[in-house]
Amino acid sequence: MLFPTTDFAIFFCLVFLGHWWLNHNARAWKAFMIAASYVFYGWWNWRYVFLLAGVSLITQLAAIAVSRQQQPRRRMTVMGLGVAATIAPLVYFKYYGFFTVNVTNAATSLGVHVAPPLIQVVLPVGVSFYTFMAIAYVVDIYRGDFELAGWTDLFLYLSFFPHLVAGPIVRPNELIPQLDIRRDPRHIDIVGASWLILGGLFKKVVIANYLAGAIVDPVFGDPTRHSSPEAIVAIVAYAVQIYCDFSGYTDIAIGVAKLLGFRFPQNFDRPYSARSVQEFWRRWHMTLSRWLRDYLYIPLGGNRKGTVRTYVNLMITMLLGGLWHGAAWHFVVWGGLHGTYLAVGHWKQGRRDVGKLAEPPDTVLVLWLQRITTFVLVCIAWTLFRADSVATALTLLGRTLTAWGEPSPLITVPVLLAIGIGLATQFLPHRPAERLKAALSQLRPVPLGVTIAVVLFVITTLGPRGVAPFIYFQF
Amino acid sequence: MATGTKDPTTEQRPNDDGAPSDAPARRRAMPAGRVLVTILVGLLVWGVLYAPELKRSSEAQPDGIRRTVSLAILGPVVWAEGRLGLTRLIDDATSALGRNPSLQVGGEGVGVDPLPPAPPITNTHPPRPPRRDTPLRDPTTSKPLRVVVVGDSLAQGIGTFAERVFRPNLVQVFRQGRISTGLARPDYFDWPYQMRQIVKRARPDLTIVMIGENDGQSLVDREGQMVAQIGTGDFPDAYEQRVLQFARIATSEGGHVIWVGLPQPRDSRRWDFIGRQNEAFAQAAAELPNVAYFDTWNTFTAPGGGYTAYYRDGNHVTLVRADDGVHFNADGYTILMRLVADFAGTQFQLDPKTYGG
Repeated sequence: MLFPTTDFAIFFCLVFLGHWWLNHNARAWKAFMIAASYVFYGWWNWRYVFLLAGVSLITQLAAIAVSRQQQPRRRMTVMGLGVAATIAPLVYFKYYGFFTVNVTNAATSLGVHVAPPLIQVVLPVGVSFYTFMAIAYVVDIYRGDFELAGWTDLFLYLSFFPHLVAGPIVRPNELIPQLDIRRDPRHIDIVGASWLILGGLFKKVVIANYLAGAIVDPVFGDPTRHSSPEAIVAIVAYAVQIYCDFSGYTDIAIGVAKLLGFRFPQNFDRPYSARSVQEFWRRWHMTLSRWLRDYLYIPLGGNRKGTVRTYVNLMITMLLGGLWHGAAWHFVVWGGLHGTYLAVGHWKQGRRDVGKLAEPPDTVLVLWLQRITTFVLVCIAWTLFRADSVATALTLLGRTLTAWGEPSPLITVPVLLAIGIGLATQFLPHRPAERLKAALSQLRPVPLGVTIAVVLFVITTLGPRGVAPFIYFQF
Repeated sequence: MATGTKDPTTEQRPNDDGAPSDAPARRRAMPAGRVLVTILVGLLVWGVLYAPELKRSSEAQPDGIRRTVSLAILGPVVWAEGRLGLTRLIDDATSALGRNPSLQVGGEGVGVDPLPPAPPITNTHPPRPPRRDTPLRDPTTSKPLRVVVVGDSLAQGIGTFAERVFRPNLVQVFRQGRISTGLARPDYFDWPYQMRQIVKRARPDLTIVMIGENDGQSLVDREGQMVAQIGTGDFPDAYEQRVLQFARIATSEGGHVIWVGLPQPRDSRRWDFIGRQNEAFAQAAAELPNVAYFDTWNTFTAPGGGYTAYYRDGNHVTLVRADDGVHFNADGYTILMRLVADFAGTQFQLDPKTYGG
C-alpha cells in the first residue's frame, strides 16, 4: 500500500481508530497493530506476509539461541549463524539473478559451460529494510546492548507499518521500549504530524515526480541527444528528486508514526548543506549510515587497526552499501566512489591532525566553496546511481563537457523553480515555519481539517497525475 | 517484557526541518478524538474539492467492483457540485494551478515528445497507401528518417531505447508511448484520434507500435458505451477491426509500420488472451501493405517454451524482463529495439547505418 493513495487514507483512519481504542489493553493493541501491519504489507502481494513472518521467526529463534550462550566464542558463532540465517532470504531475493548471470557469463568467457537455473526472483518490497533491523536486533542481543524481546514485540518491531517498506531503519532500543509505554491519547501533535505528512507529499508528488518526468528520465534515458546544460541540470535535478522522494517518504512515515504516538529517528538533516562527503553521510539516510557504521564498519575494525586498514574498511563498507542499493555494477561503482571520497577525506583529516595540512579559513566564502564542492562530488556519484549502467553514466558525465551550444528545450522555468525549491529546503530558516505551526495549532478541528484539505488539494493538483512509487521501495 | 538500554523518547533530536521533534510549548496538541475529526474533515473536504478529478480517474479504471463503488460515490458528489455551482469554482482553481481540468485522464503524457506543427497544405495529393510493401527512403542528415513509437508503457520503454539505438543524425525519434493506454478504451485515451494527429504533424516514415497490454477488458466507444464485452464472441472481431483501423491510419500517408507483438507475461493465465491479440496484430500485418509484425512471444521465450526473464545470445545470458513479469528492463528494451531495427531492415530495407546494424 502506497502512502499517497486513497487506499492508505482509508486504512489509516481505521488503524487510528483501533489503535487509540485499544491503547489501554497492551496485548490486544499489539495483536491489532501486527494484523494491521501485515494487511498493509500484504496489500502489495499477500505472499509477502509469509516472508516477513519467516524472517521474524528466524530472527527471534536466532536471538533466543544467542541469549542462551554464555561462552563468548560459542556465543559469537551462534550470533554469526543467526545473522547468516536472517540475511539468507535477502541474499537470495536480491542477488540470485545478479550472481547467476555474472557467473554464467564469466564461466562462458573462460570456456567453461555452466547452466545454473535461470529463474527470475522478484524482490519483495521492504525486505532490505526489515532484514537490517532484524540483524541489528540479533547483534545488539549478542553485544548485550539489548535484552531479548517477547515474540509479539519482535514481530511488531519488524512489521510496524510506518517504517516497514522504506525505513527509517529503527534500532531495537528506539522502538521496542515504546511498544510497552502506554501512549497518551490527550496530547497528539496533529499540526507537527500534518506538517511532516503534507511536506513529505509536496516533496514527493510536486517536486520529485515532476522533475522525474520533465528532465531526469528523458536525459538519463538517452544522454546522447541532450546538450551539456541539459545534462548538468538533469544531474542536479536527480539530486533534488532523490532527496525529495526519499526524505518525503521518511517525513510521511515519521508523521504517521507521530499520529500514533510514536517517535522515529531522524533520517535526513539537510544533506546538501554538508561541507564534506563525511558530513553528507552524517546527514543523508542517517539510519542506514549509522547501521553500516555500527554493524559493518566497526566490526571490520573501523579505524582501530591502522591507516591502511581504515581505508580498506571504509571501501568495503561503502562497496557493500552500494551493493545493498541494488544488484548491479553501477551501484557497486557508486559505493566505491563514495568509499574513495571518504578515504581521501580521512587522509586529509589525518594530515590536518598532525599539522601537515592547514585548516581552511572559517569564512563564508570557504563555507560555500566546501558546500558546492561536496554537492558536485555527490552529484557525480548520483549519476552512477541513477543511470542504468556505468557506460550510460559515463556518457552523461562526458556529455556535460562536450555538447555546449546545442539547444536545451528541457531547461524550463518550472524545472529550475522545482530544483530551486528542492535545494531551498536545505537552507530555509526554521523560525517562520515554527511560528506558522504554532498559529495553526490554535485552530479548532474543523477549520484545521479544512486547511489541511486545501493544502492537499493544491498538492494533488500541482503534481502529475498517477501515483509513482517511491525510489527507495526497490531497494 | 522488553527493556532497552536507552529510552529514545527522552532524546531531543531535530527533524529534517531542524525543528525539535516534540511539539514545542507554544504548539497546542489535541486529544485523539479531535485528531480523528480533523483527519476526517480534511479527507472529506479534499474529496469534495478533488471529486471531479477522482471521478475522471475512476471512469478510466477497468470494469470491476472498485470502479463501480468509486463511481457510485463520486457520481452524486460531482452532480451536487454542478448544481451548487462548485464545479466551475473547482475547475478555475485547478486551471490556476496549471492543470487543464477538461483534459482526458490518459492525455497527460509523461515522457512524450512534442509533435512538430503540421506542415503547410500543398496542392499535391497525399501519397496513397501502396498495394504492396515498399522500401523505406534513404535518410540523410538534412532529411533524417522520422520514426514514431506509439503504444502503452511497453512502447514508452522501447521509445526511450529507440533514441539510443538509432543514430541521432539520421533518425529523428518521436516518443509517443502513453502508460495505461490501449485500443479498448477510447473514452480514456483515443489512440485512433491521436494517431491521426501524429500522421498529420510528424509524417512518420516508420511507426513502431507496441500496444495491447491493457486491453484485457471490454471494448467501449469514445463515450464509454459498450461495444463488445470481453469473453463474448463479438470481442475478437471487434478488436481485430480496431487493430486494422489503427494500422490503416498509421499507413494512410505512406508510412510504414512495425507492429511489435506482446511478449509472454509471467502470469500464464493471460497467455491465451495475449496469443489471440498477437494473432490480430499478425493478421493486420498480413492484410495491409507496409505493415509488418514482429514476434516477441517466440523471441523472448524459454528454450522449452514458456516465460523466461533471460535472453540468451549464443552463450551470453542477459536478464531482460522487469520484476513485474510484464515489462522489460533497460537491457531488454535495448535488445528488443535492436531486433526491431534489424527486422525493419529485412522487411523495409531500413538502411543499416541508421542504427549501426
